[in-house]
Amino acid sequence: MTDLFQYTPGTSPLHRMNPITKIVLTLAVCAAAFLTDNLFVLLFLLLFDLMIGVVGRVERKAFSIFKGLFKVSLFLFVLQALFVRRGNRLFWIVTDEGLLTAAAVVLRLLVVCLPLALVLAVTQVSDIAGALVQVLHVPYAYAFTLTTAIRFIPQFMEEMSGIMEAQTARGVEFDSKNFLKKLGMLLPLCAPLLISSVRRTQATATAAEVRGFALRTSRSGYRQYRFGAVDFMGFLVSAALVAGAVLIP
Amino acid sequence: MIRAESVSYSYSGGGQTVSDLTFHIQKGEFVALIGENGAGKTTTVKLIDGLLRPTSGRMLVNGMDTVKSKVSERARQVGFLFQNPDRQICKNTVRDEIAFGLRAVWGRGEAAKIDERVKELLDLFSFRGDEEPFSLSRGQRQQVALASTLAVKPAVLILDEPTTGLDYRECTKIMEFIRNLNETEGTTVVMVCHDMEVVLDYARRALVMAGGRLLADGPVREIFRDADLMARASLLPPQIIQLSGRLGGRYALADDAETLAELIAEGDRRGTV
Amino acid sequence: MIDIQALTFRYEGAEKDALSDVTLTVPDGAFLGIIGPAGAGKTTLLHCMSGIIPHAYRGDFYGAVLLDGMDTADTRLTDLSRTAGTVFQDVDSQIVSSVVEDELLYGLENFGVPREEIEERLSFALEKVGIASLRHRTVSSLSGGQRQKVAIASLVALRPKLLLLDEPTGELDPGSSRQIFSLLRTLNREWGMTVVVVEQKIMLLCEFAQRLAVLSEGRVVRDGSVREVLGDIEGLEEIGVNCPRVARFSSLLSAKTGRKLPVCVNVDEAEAMAREVTA
Repeated sequence: MTDLFQYTPGTSPLHRMNPITKIVLTLAVCAAAFLTDNLFVLLFLLLFDLMIGVVGRVERKAFSIFKGLFKVSLFLFVLQALFVRRGNRLFWIVTDEGLLTAAAVVLRLLVVCLPLALVLAVTQVSDIAGALVQVLHVPYAYAFTLTTAIRFIPQFMEEMSGIMEAQTARGVEFDSKNFLKKLGMLLPLCAPLLISSVRRTQATATAAEVRGFALRTSRSGYRQYRFGAVDFMGFLVSAALVAGAVLIP
Repeated sequence: MIRAESVSYSYSGGGQTVSDLTFHIQKGEFVALIGENGAGKTTTVKLIDGLLRPTSGRMLVNGMDTVKSKVSERARQVGFLFQNPDRQICKNTVRDEIAFGLRAVWGRGEAAKIDERVKELLDLFSFRGDEEPFSLSRGQRQQVALASTLAVKPAVLILDEPTTGLDYRECTKIMEFIRNLNETEGTTVVMVCHDMEVVLDYARRALVMAGGRLLADGPVREIFRDADLMARASLLPPQIIQLSGRLGGRYALADDAETLAELIAEGDRRGTV
Repeated sequence: MIDIQALTFRYEGAEKDALSDVTLTVPDGAFLGIIGPAGAGKTTLLHCMSGIIPHAYRGDFYGAVLLDGMDTADTRLTDLSRTAGTVFQDVDSQIVSSVVEDELLYGLENFGVPREEIEERLSFALEKVGIASLRHRTVSSLSGGQRQKVAIASLVALRPKLLLLDEPTGELDPGSSRQIFSLLRTLNREWGMTVVVVEQKIMLLCEFAQRLAVLSEGRVVRDGSVREVLGDIEGLEEIGVNCPRVARFSSLLSAKTGRKLPVCVNVDEAEAMAREVTA
């Protein structure tokens, strides 16, 4: 779970692709998912997502994210199916239109979430930030906030599991199956978590400052983010996805 | 008290595994677990506490399989003092903090009994009770954590690097307290510790670990004198033991500065007379 | 390298001074260890040396700190940090990147090191610190000792004249602790870097540092060569500072034999002394 948002080193075409292209591709997939109502197009997009996972050699991660999302999707699917009243009744209160809408909503969720997570698996956050600054001239302070926030996630989760372990050792039963009960037990633990996070953020800010944070400009980056053949392909695919979503009824 | 029968454990996501641990710790012992980082010491103490469940083998604490016992029951049996007290402390006052663990284990119904025990511990550690834990120093926070761990009178006390981040005085205070507990109450103590001088001063028996396996098990002094064993575990024995080992002969068994200096001075006096 | 004159500092909102009337000189090329009980002001002193105090922390600052001739109060923190590199107590909060190489690049990029020089400095720092093989690893996959080395390498790449470290071995086992200190010794001896390290493990300081400063309640109560400071074991223990067992051994031996023996700071010296006395 903790490594879900973490970079998996590699040399696949996706790893070599310019971070900007990857962001464009991700946005294109999202746009396509929202532009179409065609279930087959959505299915194709889902397949495309998984294929990206395979090309990037992060298929195991893609699959585990898929599995995680699947549970949420199932819940959403049932909810949607029960609440849509239009269309012909199939059984009980479920209608054909309800099922179709539910399927579309769920597929859209999967299609949109997967690439967002996969981008982080094949791109270092620092490269995303670097490219944003260098290519799109995003102010460095914003890019730094992004990288720091993402770097904090695994640390935060490690701290959380450490705290839960310490509390379990003193007799607090976290292995309770009741979600609400578990939440009620977790809330009082947020105080130590917040305190340690705030302390850490202050230290990070100072540490960045003494290594010349203030001097940085959009030209400071050592790595150059150029566009190559892979990126050209990436842009073509992005355009094709959006066009397909718009043109296929 | 603690019986490990060919216990193995491996993390699903990768991480230090331990394999085929077999040992038996009697009631009232003071045992140190030593070895370099990644040797599996912390995994082993978590197995004893039941925070981790053996992938194979059995871990018995007080005759009960840790896999089968309830969390609150385990907390009654085994107290765990973590390296970082801040993960343990979650209340706004020292009094509430000590009461928190007691409520989890004894249940809320025992209010009068809990109040009384909290008062005992506050006196014992010289706390007023209304201090805010997060405004205390690291050493004092470690004491708060220790007080709340001891509140339920566990039969076994586990210490995971209890002296990290403490200065000499704080370290001595905590360790003297634990020694006293071990001697007067008969509490079984299992300690993970990197400071070999502390191990020599307080523990009586040592389990040496390397690469997830138990390398040796014996009286602390004998373990430290085995230079070959210490090298295999990437450990350096305490200074005086190194020194007496190098001097050999009649000095070989001296393990504290006082004894060794006396032995040498004796020889010197005889020589000069 | 560092000249501290009558420095007094009180954090904003604090009831008493964190440092009071501290005067201390750290010569060029020194390897200084700072030791003292918790709350004595060790970290505060280190932050005053780097200029983090008064720039990043508010409070009342009296006296002066000269860092390589610059008055820290009048010089921008960024300019001070070209001279002094700091390794913080919690390395994890210091590391800003997820991959080792990026962590080293970070400071180099910021300080505008010319592109042609960057690769050379990067590999030099990795080589010196002995982590060349970790260059492309993610930080989260490293052990505590390795992370500590990454933090040190990221500063070494910037080639500061002074390296300040706050309890670098706090969370490490004895083996990795010694590795970090021998690394510091190499940087100090072969490269002439001035090293100041706050450390609780007196045995490491005795073996690797040349000078010791002992802090207690915001004051420098001892300052001198390791041997000078260890000469007064009882005094140190009263302050709350532990002594190596061999130092205690040599002072006991002096008392018991009535000879005037020097203080021992490591096992080798103690062995030589014991052999001489028993000979």
